[in-house]
Amino acid sequence: MALNKEDAVKKARKDLAQRLKIDDNSIKEQSVDDSDFPDMSLGAAEDGEMSGQMITRGWRIRLNANNQSYEYRADKNQVRLYRFKGKNYRV
Amino acid sequence: MNRNNFLIHVALAIVLILIAAFAGQLNRWRKEWKSKVHIMPSAEKKRASTAEEISLAEGRTFGRPEVLVKFKPGVSLETIDELTSRFHDRVEDRIENAPGWDSIDDLDNGDVTEVVAQYLALPEVEYAEPNMEIRLDAVDAPPLVPVRPADPRFEDQWALANSGQRGGKEGADISAMRAWATTTGSDKVVVAVLDSGVDYTHEDLAPNIWVRPASLAPYHDNELGTIEDVNGFNAIENESDPMDDNGHGTHCAGIIGAEGSNDIGISGVNWKVKIMPLKFMNAGGYGTTKDAIEAINYVIDRKKAGVNVRIISASWGSTQRSRALEDVIRKAYDNDILFVAAAGNASTNNDRSPHYPSSYNVPNVISVAALDRHDQLASFSNYGVKSVAIAAPGVDILSTWLGNEYEEKSGTSMATPVVSGVAALIVAEQPRISVDELREKVLASVDPLPALKAKIATGGRVNAAKALE
Repeated sequence: MALNKEDAVKKARKDLAQRLKIDDNSIKEQSVDDSDFPDMSLGAAEDGEMSGQMITRGWRIRLNANNQSYEYRADKNQVRLYRFKGKNYRV
Repeated sequence: MNRNNFLIHVALAIVLILIAAFAGQLNRWRKEWKSKVHIMPSAEKKRASTAEEISLAEGRTFGRPEVLVKFKPGVSLETIDELTSRFHDRVEDRIENAPGWDSIDDLDNGDVTEVVAQYLALPEVEYAEPNMEIRLDAVDAPPLVPVRPADPRFEDQWALANSGQRGGKEGADISAMRAWATTTGSDKVVVAVLDSGVDYTHEDLAPNIWVRPASLAPYHDNELGTIEDVNGFNAIENESDPMDDNGHGTHCAGIIGAEGSNDIGISGVNWKVKIMPLKFMNAGGYGTTKDAIEAINYVIDRKKAGVNVRIISASWGSTQRSRALEDVIRKAYDNDILFVAAAGNASTNNDRSPHYPSSYNVPNVISVAALDRHDQLASFSNYGVKSVAIAAPGVDILSTWLGNEYEEKSGTSMATPVVSGVAALIVAEQPRISVDELREKVLASVDPLPALKAKIATGGRVNAAKALE
């Protein structure tokens, strides 16, 4: 099922709460912006992953928790965590 | 050294010198003969046989100089023979249907205009002129007339014919209409689209989708077993159905070979071609290296089985190097298959930060950058004077999409199938071309662009018409 912006933000918050083992309510939404990503893994490919080299429209979601900033990238097909401790994750 | 040995060595040296001198003379004779004989290239010969294409190439003669001389009425044959002998010439031919005209052969190989002047000075001669060579004058050959396809949305395909639509730069295209005057492609040429699959039911693609011939056995892999492939291969599910559930692969396939001039939608670079759909990327547009390798293995297997698959179009990649992927691309090279790959969309220099598979140093790989409608490097496109070979239109490219739709998309993903399509046109025209020659021909076709100077290896945009010259 295709994701919309709200679904994507909800999914990102839930993922971050689980990773940091904190309450969802303690996560602040810094910004959610429309964005063009360089490829179909939204410029956040996992190890061993290849993606179509087509400019892909989506949303850049910035969340804040424990005074740290975290970036999620999403489009209608997927949500990804960008460079979390040096690695990308498909959520 | 005793006296006998010394004499043998001297004799051998003399023999060698004589052989060398004789060989040198032979070479001179050969050159002399060649300089006198005009060898018409085969294409020229073909055209020269058409009467209306023949024109006179003024003042050029062939072989030994010949002049056509018309003697005045009443000059006897004996007198003519005496005159020609005086100039050390001979009558080559008496022209039966042109009374009084003789063809005179100059045995001294003199300058033809001087020979003509000699005869014109004689009171017995009415007229003399060089025997002109009749051959096709290339300048007068009819120019190739650009061919426009009957497709309702062709006007939106700036990559194929840029007339300045939507503020673009006129002529910033791949000269497709001029190329189509030579060939519009061939259904004997198979291009593998290694991607998210292809919507093989799309009305603008369906006639150009590869179908396994009944005479060809289904695909068999020792690990995967036998797969009843019909149109291609799905490496994610290891099954026969390569249907696209993303749209990216369908878009790339349309750029290579949406059926041309069918009164539907758009035209591919090839009007006729066979697209072999391969699916290794999922509905999200990403996939694993392992599945890409499986799909390339499938292509190689089909090639070995007799399918004329000459090109793999790879509009994907990442920054992670895989030795296994590189090895299988090399295996494709060993099987005469060109591998055209997207340079990547990170606006970075691939010489410093490589992007794979486009950056593999394998002889069949062509790495492709993207251009916009103004002949400028697209803002997102990767580049690299050592590692990126060529550029092609890749911004706002209209092509086929899922559900009989059409969409405009941007990326080196879109530039890559343009180059794959041009390579397919070349193969249509030269079916026996080797992969090395094919790569060279694609790269040699470019129109140099100032924006690409010192940015990519060829410094230019692919030109389909030039690629077919």
